[in-house]
Amino acid sequence: MSDSHIHNPDASGAVPLLRAHALFCERDDRVLFSGLDFDVQAGDLMQVQGSNGSGKTTLLRILCGLNGSYEGELYWRGVPIEEDREGFLASLLYLGHRVGVNKILTARENLRWSCALHSPVTDNDIETALARVGLAGYADVICRNMSAGQQQRVSLARLLLNPATLWVLDEPFTTLDVHGVRTLESLLAEHVLAGGAVLVTTHHPLAVPCTLRRLNLDTRGANNS
Amino acid sequence: MWQWFFRLGSPKWFYELSGRWLPWLVVAMTVLLTIGIVWALLFVPADYQQGDTIRIMYVHVPVASISLACFPLMAVAGVITLVWKMKLADMVAKCAAPIGAWFTAVALATGAIWGQPIWGTWWAWDARLTSMLIQFFLLIGVIALRSAIESPDAAARACALLSVVGAINVPIIKYSVEWWNTLHQPASSFSMAEDSPFGPEIWVPLVIMIFAVYLFFVISLILSTRTEILVRERRSQWVVDLVAADKTQGA
Amino acid sequence: MTALAGPQVTTFTAFRATLRRDLLIALTRRNDLLNPLMFFLIVVSLFPLGVSSDPQELTRIAAGTVWVSALLASMLSLDNLYRADYEDGSLEQLLLSPQPLYFMVLAKNIAHWLVSGLPVVLLAPLLAYMLYLPADAYWTLMLTLLLGTPVLSLFGSIGVALTVGLGSRGLILAVIVLPLTVPVLIIGAKAVADASLGVSLGMHYALLGALLALSLSLAPLASAAALKISVN
Repeated sequence: MSDSHIHNPDASGAVPLLRAHALFCERDDRVLFSGLDFDVQAGDLMQVQGSNGSGKTTLLRILCGLNGSYEGELYWRGVPIEEDREGFLASLLYLGHRVGVNKILTARENLRWSCALHSPVTDNDIETALARVGLAGYADVICRNMSAGQQQRVSLARLLLNPATLWVLDEPFTTLDVHGVRTLESLLAEHVLAGGAVLVTTHHPLAVPCTLRRLNLDTRGANNS
Repeated sequence: MWQWFFRLGSPKWFYELSGRWLPWLVVAMTVLLTIGIVWALLFVPADYQQGDTIRIMYVHVPVASISLACFPLMAVAGVITLVWKMKLADMVAKCAAPIGAWFTAVALATGAIWGQPIWGTWWAWDARLTSMLIQFFLLIGVIALRSAIESPDAAARACALLSVVGAINVPIIKYSVEWWNTLHQPASSFSMAEDSPFGPEIWVPLVIMIFAVYLFFVISLILSTRTEILVRERRSQWVVDLVAADKTQGA
Repeated sequence: MTALAGPQVTTFTAFRATLRRDLLIALTRRNDLLNPLMFFLIVVSLFPLGVSSDPQELTRIAAGTVWVSALLASMLSLDNLYRADYEDGSLEQLLLSPQPLYFMVLAKNIAHWLVSGLPVVLLAPLLAYMLYLPADAYWTLMLTLLLGTPVLSLFGSIGVALTVGLGSRGLILAVIVLPLTVPVLIIGAKAVADASLGVSLGMHYALLGALLALSLSLAPLASAAALKISVN
């Protein structure tokens, strides 16, 4: 399996991995957020909070570059994101509401494609990753025959297969059972301890053995807990 | 230069400027239109072949030429929308599409009326009429796309892209239709050259009419864009003030 | 390059994987593969029923009929191009891949053509025979379809990409895309008609080739931009 546990040379750095400055976004004549500033450092696990409709998903999509209707500045390692989009995308892994799993294909075929867009993997890697997320022996099952939670797990296997510095996860816990939740929590902790960074939205109280930062879109402002 | 460019992008600035220009434009158009129509209908000599039918040229040619200018206009506005995200450009593009479609429809109708006595039929698959018809379809496509997309922002960018694609296609369509239909008469260019088959008594009123119809197009576009500005900027302070001032004046 | 960003794949690998995946999906869903082809067959057979079964008359309209039907069949198959990917989120993954989007879109378009355009090209001679197309126009028909149907897929892709997020897209897609395909139709049908007259066809092929080159280089860029707008 591709190793994502190598130490990050930038961990000392004063330059944050991701920096958002004066973000402003409105949708349907309603201001979702304005003047939003925050930094994401290597080793940060940041939970984006807010009531329904406060713009959590919109914020994550803006950060990834899927949503372009915003004003403000975004920097990746101190460089404006639009100047080195490919470099940013190479270090980004995004899992959205829609899990990105084609129902006609098997888990293996799905992962083979999504990994081929980022980094080379072997069949062995895929099986190991699926086993880690609790889908041992499911590699060749067609995704239509899986439950929603299992499909979600297929997409979670990408966290192990595509080495990326920044994980942006939108409600990754919704369909998971207790075991799945625990697995994902440990994946998140491992990633930030290895020097990665995670931005995650969830209503689920995170139990992780590392510092958790919160970005609350209702009260606005990042603080440590 | 850039400051000017971005100021032009401000809807408020455009609204105020166009408000000052409108009366002059309307006066100029009325004068030109009156002169042009009276001249074309009463004083231009009848054509030795087509007789009085030639007079429809004074409507058809100006209208057709402006409808050909519509796609390039929308494409330029589209590029500005896509590259600089300038809202005014999209407002202009949005308003230009239906006006352009109307002008294209009028050009098609006048072309058909002109064609009736000459070809003996209301519709001929003449190269120019056909490519105008296809361009009409393209405009309808842009309008349909605009009305189908709910988010104004996405609609703006999608229509901008489609306009650019369409504008690249228009010359290809024009060329292929002409190539397909080489049997008909070549486009009669009303060049101002000395050897032009038309004398000045023919083309001077035509030029006047072209200017008048262009002004008409510009005025329609400005009026329509001003409405669009008010609708889209309805929450901004200057529009609120404007409406309040208007109400006190009316009372 | 940081340690957490592992070895990168080449664009070619990503291109091949996308092509492979789309072909795999298409081959699994045989109905999607067969329906446009059946549609093509049915539409062509409507013409003798609606116009006339007189061989001479059919010979005259054969070229246009086959071309118009191919155009409509390719329009019908377009919906599969991005819809499933949009709905299941794969499209977002594609847009967020560090690969040049041009090649990813191109891979999807090629896959779409291989499963919807190529079968139409291969079926065309049979339909041409049913319409009494003169024998010397067969090769021209296949060759023009071979050059023209990829252009239909590439142009159609722009339209689908623009409308993929809309609830009802069937008709609006046709309204947007059909006018764009006029040049291909004109040149293709005229080439086939001219072939039976014994006219030299160099110009026709050159024009179709130029259209194909133009759309190969520009249309995927437009599709990519349109996809970005649609997922926004």
